[in-house]
Amino acid sequence: MAEKPAMPASWRVESKPHKFCPGCGHGIALRALGQAIDELGIQDRTVFGCDIGCSLLAWDFFNVDTIQTHHGRTTPVMVGVKRANPDLICIAYMGDGGGYAIGAQHLVNAASRNDKITAILINNTQYAMTGGQMAPTTMPGQKTETTPYGRDPELTGLPAQGPEMIATITPEGAYVARGTVSKLRQLKKMMVRALKCQMEGRGFSFIEVLSTCPTNWRTNARETWSFLEEKMPQYFQIGEIKIPVSEGDADE
Amino acid sequence: MFFWGARRITRVVEAYVGEYASGKSEVAVNRALEMVAWDEPVTLVDLDLVEPCYTLRPIKKELQALGVDVIAWETGDSIGWGETGNILKAEAKWALRRPGNIVFDVGYGVDGAKSLNLVEGLAGEPSFKVIIVINISRPMTAGVDDIVALVKGLDKVDGLINNTHLGDETTPEVVQEGARVVTSAARKLGLPVIATTAVKEIAAQLGSYDAEGNLVRPLKRYMPRSFW
Amino acid sequence: MAEKVIAGEKRVFMTGNEVVAWAALAAGAEIMYGYPITPQNEIMHYWTRLAPKYNRKFLQTEDELSAGFTTVGGVMAGKRAFTATAGPGNTLMQEPISMAEAMRLPFVAMIIQRGGPSTGTVIYSQQEVMMTVLGGNGEGLRIVYSTANHQELFDYSIKAFDTAWKYRFPTFVLADGYQGKMREPLTIYDPDDRGIKISDTEPYVGRPGTPGVDRPPGHYRNTYNVEEELYEVLQDHIKDFESIADEVSEYESMASDDAELLVVAHGVVARAAKQATEALRQQGLKVGYFRPITLRPLPSTPLREAVNRAGRMLVVESAYGQLGRLLKEALYGATAEFIPYYKPGVGFTPEEIMARCRELIT
Repeated sequence: MAEKPAMPASWRVESKPHKFCPGCGHGIALRALGQAIDELGIQDRTVFGCDIGCSLLAWDFFNVDTIQTHHGRTTPVMVGVKRANPDLICIAYMGDGGGYAIGAQHLVNAASRNDKITAILINNTQYAMTGGQMAPTTMPGQKTETTPYGRDPELTGLPAQGPEMIATITPEGAYVARGTVSKLRQLKKMMVRALKCQMEGRGFSFIEVLSTCPTNWRTNARETWSFLEEKMPQYFQIGEIKIPVSEGDADE
Repeated sequence: MFFWGARRITRVVEAYVGEYASGKSEVAVNRALEMVAWDEPVTLVDLDLVEPCYTLRPIKKELQALGVDVIAWETGDSIGWGETGNILKAEAKWALRRPGNIVFDVGYGVDGAKSLNLVEGLAGEPSFKVIIVINISRPMTAGVDDIVALVKGLDKVDGLINNTHLGDETTPEVVQEGARVVTSAARKLGLPVIATTAVKEIAAQLGSYDAEGNLVRPLKRYMPRSFW
Repeated sequence: MAEKVIAGEKRVFMTGNEVVAWAALAAGAEIMYGYPITPQNEIMHYWTRLAPKYNRKFLQTEDELSAGFTTVGGVMAGKRAFTATAGPGNTLMQEPISMAEAMRLPFVAMIIQRGGPSTGTVIYSQQEVMMTVLGGNGEGLRIVYSTANHQELFDYSIKAFDTAWKYRFPTFVLADGYQGKMREPLTIYDPDDRGIKISDTEPYVGRPGTPGVDRPPGHYRNTYNVEEELYEVLQDHIKDFESIADEVSEYESMASDDAELLVVAHGVVARAAKQATEALRQQGLKVGYFRPITLRPLPSTPLREAVNRAGRMLVVESAYGQLGRLLKEALYGATAEFIPYYKPGVGFTPEEIMARCRELIT
């Protein structure tokens, strides 16, 4: 493509170009989210919550009301907003550390309470903003700042299976999927479905997004893409895991 | 048969239930002490399953010295009151196996009445009575409709006691207003008002019967005044 | 607000926790977020019994972190939201409270102190003073009312909602397990009937119009890039806090004009201190009484004046010098003799305080 794709209308032009590193997947995930917000026409009633970590850089990303919270606490802040004003569409945007480590109890409990919010979790297999430490999603053998010889599953377990867990603990009506920044159209569709799940009051919705972090992976463009496309799916299966019954059709 | 002061043939098994600060513990304690004079064993059971530290524990020894067998936790019996699961005393579960008369002080608000299910044999005990202690100075039992709704929410109720008071600010008028409301509620419910209870000084001013014709029973205060 | 919670003034008899629930209802609180911990549980119990009748809401969260952060969310949605906690729960809640402090959110919490450190006891202490006043990684830009009786619990629980939304600092009612469980008479009322206005709420998120089209988006953060940026924000907040200190701070004093010994206490201990002072005065001993009602900001000026006049002060608290430390800071440079009477986690009777005063005066 010769020309840049148009920005979603819900993006805030004043804060672009955004602050993510070159090759970072956040921008793509946020593009999919922006497109979904546009398609559903909910810019006026969306509340976007972002966590600590790289997701924080999205605090002024959209022309939607945004709350930058604490590490792991975006889920309860969005639950609090939603419970107080159910007319708002609340999105909790976080990283894998925020969702699966420090904020795991909030994610698990919001899911099992079936809170009508949408949680979006960016999985880039490590803590990126603090310099590349091991995360619950780090792959076996993967080197990080706290696993300099590679993650040893014997000592630190296997990569967290977040969507699978959330699918198990949510009732029917909830929406759970794992997408990837390498498939923007599919990811956008997942975002639309997740938000519709919330808008229709069906239940909790959750998307894990496989994403890239060339800065901390220390990978060039080709290696980055092959990590995302070949290595990560070995542990993280892409697709919709739980969809509301009436939605009918699954993947594209 | 459960008029206070009257001797009766069968045993007395009574449970006193009420909102916080209704005065049910005071009423239960006074009832148990009254029965000491009958020369039969009397057991007072503290059935506060949630916060057993707050009710009869501080006066257990005093009551035992007066002849009432008290089933309640003592300070050394457990740790972490209100934090641990160490709540129902086995003796309380088997209280009906004891000879003589049994009074249950059912703690932790009216919902505490459910804990009576935990007492073995209570459902089949023919002389078992549940008495609701009402203080209309408590907003949740302030009106006739509130009291009717509260009693209807309970499985078994055999009578009401008007224990309306305002602590140290109690006047005979306060108690009489309670009598009016409680009696009116009792009529709607088809239940007897067993008594109006009040501390001695107030009871003396009320006379033997309140303005609604309910028996007035004086109470001696045993529950610690300062805290609860 | 739909119907009035309390019609006319009513003399009632209640436990303290229940008083807080009624006060929150009367103040128009719209949602409570909470997690069970003794001795504050009955605040939730009564709130959950009463709330549906008045179209109010409740969420039981997974822990106190969540209770605090959902309260933050509720407040930002523009609702009079509150929570209640104690002891280890208060410890956890310092994290969300620091976010509320950073973002100047009208966060309201009822703290019913229990014994510490750690799990301690579920019963009573005044050991959460430092944490409530200065907790978290910040500067303690909070307003803390320490109540002494049920009437105050009712009055200040209502007032907390007004204060929080008026000044936009996290606001606390600091009581204790004795107050929570104790029962005594008080008058409950609808604040409106007494001409008490409670500041209006206002949403931070979800205001009318499309952000970026009809209005700027509400972008709220607590993270800054550089020291100077944070410094500038904090300077503004500190200036605001200092400017309201005189207006917000409250105290109670008695017989302090010619006192030769000033008894200083807060909360439920102040009851015993006041009774002791009254009794000693009747016996002709020149004892005075001073009680800060706001522990943050402290009523520093009247405190200094009373202490300087007396020359000696007996500081009585159910903690090992938590109020004491606050007082020393406020009184820095004063020459009065500072005599501590500390019993961490244990209550005081008027007789004990009288005995100590007599030892000191004769």
